[in-house]
Amino acid sequence: MKVEILLFGRLTELLGQSRLQLEDMADTNSVSKRLLDQYPALQHIRYQIAVNQEIIHGNKPLTDGMTVALMPPFSGG
Amino acid sequence: MREKKLKNIFVNGAVSAQAIADSIQKHHSKTNIGAHSIFLGQVRADQIGEQQVTGINYTAYEEMALEKMYEIREAIFEKYELTCMHIHHSLGLVAAGEICLFVFTSSGHRKAAMQACDELVERIKAELPIWGKEILTDESHQWKENK
Repeated sequence: MKVEILLFGRLTELLGQSRLQLEDMADTNSVSKRLLDQYPALQHIRYQIAVNQEIIHGNKPLTDGMTVALMPPFSGG
Repeated sequence: MREKKLKNIFVNGAVSAQAIADSIQKHHSKTNIGAHSIFLGQVRADQIGEQQVTGINYTAYEEMALEKMYEIREAIFEKYELTCMHIHHSLGLVAAGEICLFVFTSSGHRKAAMQACDELVERIKAELPIWGKEILTDESHQWKENK
């Protein structure tokens, strides 16, 4: 089971990429934890999570093929 | 139920004065309009220590932004008596002094156009997944934060 992770804003710099795939992620908390283990600097960055373009609050279960976006505070306009 | 149609709001680089003028011109045939309200966001050359902002490079989660903009557009049409609404936001580099956001509302009478325009600008800045990277004089950068 794979999920696609999209990164935006300063997160693209921190992780050095704008998308990646992760395997065996049961829920969004597992995604955050896996990335935090790999990139400890993430703990200093605030971000919201969108699953398939919907912003979520709390933890959300994931199934194969879902897209998880990590989004720092918006700064359009 | 009418078909859900996503409108692209993104333009590459700055919104030109010509594009804004053309947009106004196109409304001359809509004679039920009595008022237009226009908001133009311009890139400010903020002073950051020794450096100045020379431009902002915009990126977006485009698919999500267009979905969200659809929702906002529907809500605003529901709330105000508008004739039409046009929104353009830049992607890529916009130099200081250039226009990065163009919001244009029209209505029979002024209040609806003005209030809708104001609410749209607030919602666009708060809810659309768009990020601005401020480019400084020495080519370093910092990530913009909306106030």
